[in-house]
Amino acid sequence: MSRSQNDSADPRMIFEADDVAVHFGGVKAVDGLTFGLPEGKIIGILGPNGSGKSTLVGAITRHVPLTRGTLKFLGKDYAGDEPHLVPHRGIARTFQTVRLLEERNVLENVLLGTDSLTAGGRAARRLGQERAEQAMARTGCDHLAKVRPDELSYGNRRRVEIARAIAMEPKLLLLDEPTAGMGRAEKEEISTLMLSLRAEGLTQLIVEHDVQMMVDTCDSLLAMNFGKLIVEGEPREVVRNPAVQEAYLGKQAVKHA
Amino acid sequence: MMAWYTANAVVVQATMTTLLLALSIQLPLRVGVFSFAGVGCFGIGGYTAAILYTKFDVDTWPAVALGTLLAGGLCYLLGLIIHKLSGLYLGMATIAFSLIVAVAATNGGSLTGGASGIFGALGGITNLHVLLLLALVVAGLAISEYGRFGRMIDTVREDPELAAALGINVGRYRKLTFLASGLIGGLAGAVTTLLRSTITPAEVNFHMVVVALTVIIIGGSSSWLGALIGAIVITWLPTVLSFVADWESIIYGFLVALAAIFLPGGVLGLAKDLIHRWRARRRPTPPAPPASEAEKIPGGEPSSPATERSLASTQGGTS
Ligand SMILES: Nc1ncnc2c1ncn2[C@@H]1O[C@H](COP(=O)(O)OP(=O)(O)OP(=O)(O)O)[C@@H](O)[C@H]1O
Ligand SMILES: [Mg+2]
Repeated sequence: MSRSQNDSADPRMIFEADDVAVHFGGVKAVDGLTFGLPEGKIIGILGPNGSGKSTLVGAITRHVPLTRGTLKFLGKDYAGDEPHLVPHRGIARTFQTVRLLEERNVLENVLLGTDSLTAGGRAARRLGQERAEQAMARTGCDHLAKVRPDELSYGNRRRVEIARAIAMEPKLLLLDEPTAGMGRAEKEEISTLMLSLRAEGLTQLIVEHDVQMMVDTCDSLLAMNFGKLIVEGEPREVVRNPAVQEAYLGKQAVKHA
Repeated sequence: MMAWYTANAVVVQATMTTLLLALSIQLPLRVGVFSFAGVGCFGIGGYTAAILYTKFDVDTWPAVALGTLLAGGLCYLLGLIIHKLSGLYLGMATIAFSLIVAVAATNGGSLTGGASGIFGALGGITNLHVLLLLALVVAGLAISEYGRFGRMIDTVREDPELAAALGINVGRYRKLTFLASGLIGGLAGAVTTLLRSTITPAEVNFHMVVVALTVIIIGGSSSWLGALIGAIVITWLPTVLSFVADWESIIYGFLVALAAIFLPGGVLGLAKDLIHRWRARRRPTPPAPPASEAEKIPGGEPSSPATERSLASTQGGTS
C-alpha cells in the first residue's frame, strides 16, 4: 500500500497496481502484485511458463476479472472499467498468440487500431489512414499493406499486430512476447523500435523470455514466479539475483552465468 | 422487359420479401450473434400490421410502421436479456422466442384469428414500394459492411476479446443488432402480410428459419449481396425447374449441404475468392522484403538458443 505511494513521488508513475490478484478457482495466477510503471520507461516482465505474466497483462487491460486489488492509470482507478474502455484511456496491447482478421489485408488490420478511437467522417478517416501507414512503416510491414495475413510469415504477423497497437497511439503499450518465434535480426528490429518509441515518451511493458533482449532493452525488470513478484529493479541486477537464477534459469544457467 | 415483369411480378415480389426476411437473420450472424429472432419479429410485424389494418381501420403505412417498430422494440428487449448468452444457447433462446410468437398467435382468440390466422388484410402496397423499402434497408446494411464500420463488425464477430482490446463496445454492437434485426424482420412481416392479405401461425415457424438459412448459406453470409443471390436462387428455382416445387425440402437440403461443403462462403464467397486470386496474380512481383525477412529462412540462425530454451522449458507456475 504505502510503497506504491512512495514510488509515485519520483519519477511519475503512469500506472500503478496495488495488491492485484487474479485467481482462477484454486489457481492463483496472479497473487498480490504491487508495482508501478514509471512514465516513459520500458519495463520488462520475466518469469517461467505459467507464472502469470499474460494473466497480469489481461488484468491490466481488464480482460480478466480481479480477485482483489486496485489499478490506477494516470492517477485514476479504472479497475471497474469494462475492457473496451481501457484503450480509450490510452492502453494498447498485443497478444501472446497473434490475433488478426484473416479475411482483411494488413492495412485494414492496422486501421482497426484507429477505427474505434477516432470519430467518423472524412478528416478522421484520413488521420486514421496516416496513423496506420506510419505504424506500418515503423514496424516494417508497409510493403505488405495489401497482403492478407494468411500469406505472411510468423514474424510479419507479429509486426502487423504491433503496428496495430502503435496505430492506437497509446500512452502505455503492453507487449506479450512480441518477438516469440523471431530470429535474432528481427528481434533486434523490434528492440530498436521499442527504444525509438521510448524516445518519444511511450511507456512500455514487455513480457519476454529472451533474457539478453530484456537486459539490452529494458530500463527495469520485474521477475515473477507463481503469480508473485519476487525481484524488481535494474535489469542486470535482477537477472543476476540468486532467486531469479533459481526460479527461471535453472541450475544449468546458474552455472553458465 | 415490361412483359417479362408482368408475367413474373409475383416471383419478383416473393424474391424481395424473402430477401428482407433473410437480411433480418443475416445481420446478427454477421455480428456473431447466433439469433433467429428475425422470424419471430416477422410474425410480430405481420400480425400487428394485419390486426391494425383489419380490426382498427389503421391505414397501410401506419400499420406497417407500427408493426415494424413493435417488432424492433420487442427484439431489442429480448437482446437486453439474452445478448450475453453465446452460440447455441443464444440460438435456442431466439428460436424459443419465435415459437412463443407462434403460440401467442394461435391462442390469441379473435384478435389473431387462432390457428386459421387473419384474412383480408390486403393493404395498398405495390412492388415499387417494396423495392424502395428494400433499397433503404440494403443501403443501411451496405454502410455497415463498408470501411471502419465493416471492419469493427467483423472483429466483433471473429474475436470479441480482440474487439474490446481495440476499444470496440462489443455489448452495444450485440444489443443494437437485436434492434436492427427486429426492425428488418418486423418490416418483412408487415409488408409480406399486407401484400398477400393473410398471415397464419403456421408461417411463423421453424420452416422460415430454414428458408432464411438456406438463402444465406447458398448466397453467402458476409454481405447483403450474398442474401440477394440466395433469395434469387431460392425463389426462382421452382419456376425454372418445375419439379423443384414438389421436392422443395429435399432439394434445398441438398443445396445447403453442397454449399456448406464446397462453398463455405456461399456463391458470393466463391466470387470474392476468385477476384482476390486474380488480383494477387496480377500484382507485380512482391516488393523486396526487408533484410530481416530474408533472414527468416528455415534453418537460419536460431536466436540465443541457450537462454531462450532454458527459460521456456523451466518448470514453474502451478500447471
Ligand atoms: N482463463 C483461465 N482459466 C484458468 N486458469 C488460467 C486461465 N488463464 C491462465 N490460467 C492459469 O494461470 C496460470 C498463469 O498463466 P499465464 O498464461 O498468465 O502464464 P504466463 O506467465 O503468461 O506463461 P507463458 O510464459 O507460458 O505465456 C497458469 O497456471 C494457467 O494455466
Ligand atoms: Mg503468457
